[in-house]
Amino acid sequence: MIQLFQVYKSFGSKNPALLDISLTVKKGEFVFITGPSGAGKTTLLKIIFCAERPTSGNALVDGRNLNRIKDQELSLLRRRIGVIFQDFKLLPRRNVFENVALTLEIIGFPLSMIRKKVHQTLRYLSLVNKEGYYPPQLSGGEQQRVAIARAIVNDPLILLADEPTGNLDPDLTMEIMALLKEIHIRGTTVLVATHSQELLKDTTRRIVTLNKGRIV
Amino acid sequence: MKITLFHYFIKQATANIFENRLVHLIGIGTMSIAFLIFYAFILIFVNLNYWTEEQGSSLTMSIYFKGEPDRAVIEKIKKELFLFPGVTIKRFISKDDAIKSLRRRLGDKAGLLDGLKQNPLPASLEIILSRDKGGDTLPYQLKTRLEKITIVDEVQYSQEWIRRFQAIMEAIKIVGIIFGGLLFLAALFIITNTIKLTIYSRKEEIEILKLVGATNRFVKIPFMIEGSIQGFLGGVVALLILFLVYIIAIAKIDIRIGFASLDIVFLSPQYIFFLLLMSVVIGFIGSTISLGRFFRI
Ligand SMILES: Nc1ncnc2c1ncn2[C@@H]1O[C@H](COP(=O)(O)OP(=O)(O)OP(=O)(O)O)[C@@H](O)[C@H]1O
Ligand SMILES: [Mg+2]
Repeated sequence: MIQLFQVYKSFGSKNPALLDISLTVKKGEFVFITGPSGAGKTTLLKIIFCAERPTSGNALVDGRNLNRIKDQELSLLRRRIGVIFQDFKLLPRRNVFENVALTLEIIGFPLSMIRKKVHQTLRYLSLVNKEGYYPPQLSGGEQQRVAIARAIVNDPLILLADEPTGNLDPDLTMEIMALLKEIHIRGTTVLVATHSQELLKDTTRRIVTLNKGRIV
Repeated sequence: MKITLFHYFIKQATANIFENRLVHLIGIGTMSIAFLIFYAFILIFVNLNYWTEEQGSSLTMSIYFKGEPDRAVIEKIKKELFLFPGVTIKRFISKDDAIKSLRRRLGDKAGLLDGLKQNPLPASLEIILSRDKGGDTLPYQLKTRLEKITIVDEVQYSQEWIRRFQAIMEAIKIVGIIFGGLLFLAALFIITNTIKLTIYSRKEEIEILKLVGATNRFVKIPFMIEGSIQGFLGGVVALLILFLVYIIAIAKIDIRIGFASLDIVFLSPQYIFFLLLMSVVIGFIGSTISLGRFFRI
């Protein structure tokens, strides 16, 4: 599903963000990516959904080489990748419902279907009573859950979660992790980037550890 | 599927306009001034054109007589005129009729005429020549022929100045095209910049949209609709102002050129439709230009 070959990413400074990353994630896998702050976790995820292009090396996602993908194809690919951004990237001028509906609108679902799916997802994340709120009116944890809702509302092929529990209390953290597991069981390939050792304490899942841009 | 998208695009476009209402208001205001100038020009042009064409399709010829001709002579001339195609007799004006009508026109100042020992005005016969019959040389042929009759003093017709007028119309047309082109560019410039501002105010949003899988088209269409709406509103405002000015002022003015009075009519529905369509097109082109610039970055 995801294959990285000797990927380097440099932002121009002396130390590249990613160094010689080779990684294969199979369809249906659940992988944690961990490492200290600044290790390159976010950059790695960005390469996968093509927000950044590798400085060298190749990245293949769902059979497509991201170095050669066309604009139109990239849009189609991104519709099948749900991303929970570390900084949420919610649209401040659209309310919770509209933010979550966005991915479905882009795909062109009919209105009735959009309503149904969005309500379902919001209920799932205990956000139903916040439907009409705008992101600036929400707490950090609520914004995070909206970001999660937007990423999962269209049952993506791949889910990239960047610190999905960073702003949540222990109870909500457990809930979100349970939710990610459920999405995984439904067939989505899941990558979770986190620096929280707590999350990884007694997991049996595959863990990829990064340090200063290298896999260790 | 299509309906959802349409609904989404319209919603985004109107939200854009509402959020950037000040920018849009200024944009629509300045643009409507450009449109207003252009529309006013069209109004004047359409009227002059209509009028010259109407005048040009027939011409009035006046045959002035020496002294007071008797009926028999007039009948003889009339019979002769009927031989020419497209000639209609309008009326015979005797010396008396001529002075009466002059008095009427002078109004209070008619007293000026009292001092005259004899009536200086000539009797005349007015005829109308249709332009589609008889050809361009007919008026001149008639003039030379009629002037050979001893009792006829002079023959005048209104063609020369109409001709000159038509030449002026051509010049006005060219000036109008250049002028209209400049105003078109001005309106385009205004729209391009208004939409550029709203695009920049949504820069982050556009990036996010792209990251969650929106195509360029999906991102662009609301801005195109926004530009088209702005163009349309600019056009509507300009038309409303023009219409108000028209009913308050222009319709009351009675402009006289030569014999004929010029009734100014408002733009026809077809013209209005065309002009509004044009303003929408300008809005569409303007937003497309600014989107092109933005997406190249
Ligand atoms: N757009 C950018 N321009 C310049 N440098 C960048 C950019 N993005 C990331 N970097 C650098 O790349 C390195 C890795 O950043 P990255 O965001 O991937 O770390 P991270 O592992 O996600 O950290 P955190 O746990 O704090 O989120 C950092 O040193 C960062 O400064
Ligand atoms: Mg990060």
